[in-house]
Amino acid sequence: MQERSDEQLMAAVMAGDQVALAALVTRHHAPLLGYLYRLAGGDRQLSEDLVQETLLHVLRQHTYQFDRPFKPWLYMIATNLARDYFKSAAVRQRWREGDSEEALLHLYDNEPSPEERALVAEQGSEVRAALAQLGEEYRVVVVLRFYQGFSLQEIAETLQIPLGTVKSRLSVGVHRLRTVLAPVQKGVD
Amino acid sequence: MPHPQSSWPFERPEQLADALREQGASPEECADLLPAVRRLSEWQAPQPEPADTRRLLAHLTPELPAPSPVRQAIREHRQHRVAFLLATARAQVSLFGLGFWLVSALITLIGVGAVVVLRNVVPDQALVLQALVLRISGPLLAFLGTIVAFRGRGARVLELELVCLPSPLQLAIARLVIVLGYDVGLSLALSLLLWAGGSSQVLALTLSWFTPLLLVAGLALLLSLRLSIQVAASLAYGSWLALLTISTISNLQSLLLAPALLVLPGCIGLAGLSIGLLCLHADMHRLLPHP
Repeated sequence: MQERSDEQLMAAVMAGDQVALAALVTRHHAPLLGYLYRLAGGDRQLSEDLVQETLLHVLRQHTYQFDRPFKPWLYMIATNLARDYFKSAAVRQRWREGDSEEALLHLYDNEPSPEERALVAEQGSEVRAALAQLGEEYRVVVVLRFYQGFSLQEIAETLQIPLGTVKSRLSVGVHRLRTVLAPVQKGVD
Repeated sequence: MPHPQSSWPFERPEQLADALREQGASPEECADLLPAVRRLSEWQAPQPEPADTRRLLAHLTPELPAPSPVRQAIREHRQHRVAFLLATARAQVSLFGLGFWLVSALITLIGVGAVVVLRNVVPDQALVLQALVLRISGPLLAFLGTIVAFRGRGARVLELELVCLPSPLQLAIARLVIVLGYDVGLSLALSLLLWAGGSSQVLALTLSWFTPLLLVAGLALLLSLRLSIQVAASLAYGSWLALLTISTISNLQSLLLAPALLVLPGCIGLAGLSIGLLCLHADMHRLLPHP
């Protein structure tokens, strides 16, 4: 039997179909968790909470238009929720007080200190730190493009920005990543 | 406990280079950027276990919309709106009774008969008199149809209609479709009869009959928003007859009922029907019985 599209499943979910909900969640749970995990700087618990909150919004808001692609809409909600979370006063305060080493990775556009570099010894932490240094608008497009495999058009729909802006943000983001990751790269070679 | 790791969406190295090119990087830039971009795969995200997904579903399931069976049935029917309207109209046909169909047909036949007789008896003034007869008999059908089609509102069946699957507005549209459809059918039959009888002014005579019918139906529906359906229909038909009388006995006939203005009553009637239907929906609460 042909697999139902996201849009067909969403229409069924809005009619109260539990089977469709299970199919939709199973399909998107892992990619969405991966996306929010990277936006949250590797905080597993926070990313799981954001996944749950995103899907609750999907069910409660009733704003989905069935002629729109589902995936960009889903990721738009997830992105907005993550942004709202990091903008909240309590979170910003916690970061300022530095009650967690992880919080250092959330601070955007800051140069990593030698101590931070020492913390990122595990595999991938260098990349995580490099992404954390990008501005939020650049990090989101890089994650959508290179981890989620979104097309440029899908990113534009998700973030509701013009295609040209997507390209320019990707270009800036990738060049900044190269600047940060290049010294390591030379060392590896 | 270590979690399973997510997969990297770029299976082949060329795909990564293609992605960079697509976003506007030149070949030299691609070569420069690729090593850094390739390193992104070093940071893997955890994959949820099936148990995690089940737990998430357990949280989400209570939030599923739970439309009532009635709402679900309405939604299913809306997907086939035209078929649904036709089925509703078919169901409403039984409410009209045989008398309505026979009387309507009889009025039409009398109109046609009068037209034929007048053509033979007074050939010099035939067209004016024929038009007059049709302008009286046509709206009479509208008067009859409006009373029959909307008598349910006066008969206090609105409570019953409100609990039916089709909305009262859909029922009203369905009834209008039936009545006007039948009248259009009669109008076409009349035209055919006149054409077969050798009349040279078939279109003018048909319009003389049909456009006042629309006018009276529209006016009756509009008036029924504030008056009982019998009073509204009588007032609409009475007003039309008064206008007809005044224009016939005075010199206004050439002005009010000029051939160029034959379509005007029909347009006014259609506008009245549209406004009446829209207001009928918004005005429905007035028709509910007061406690």
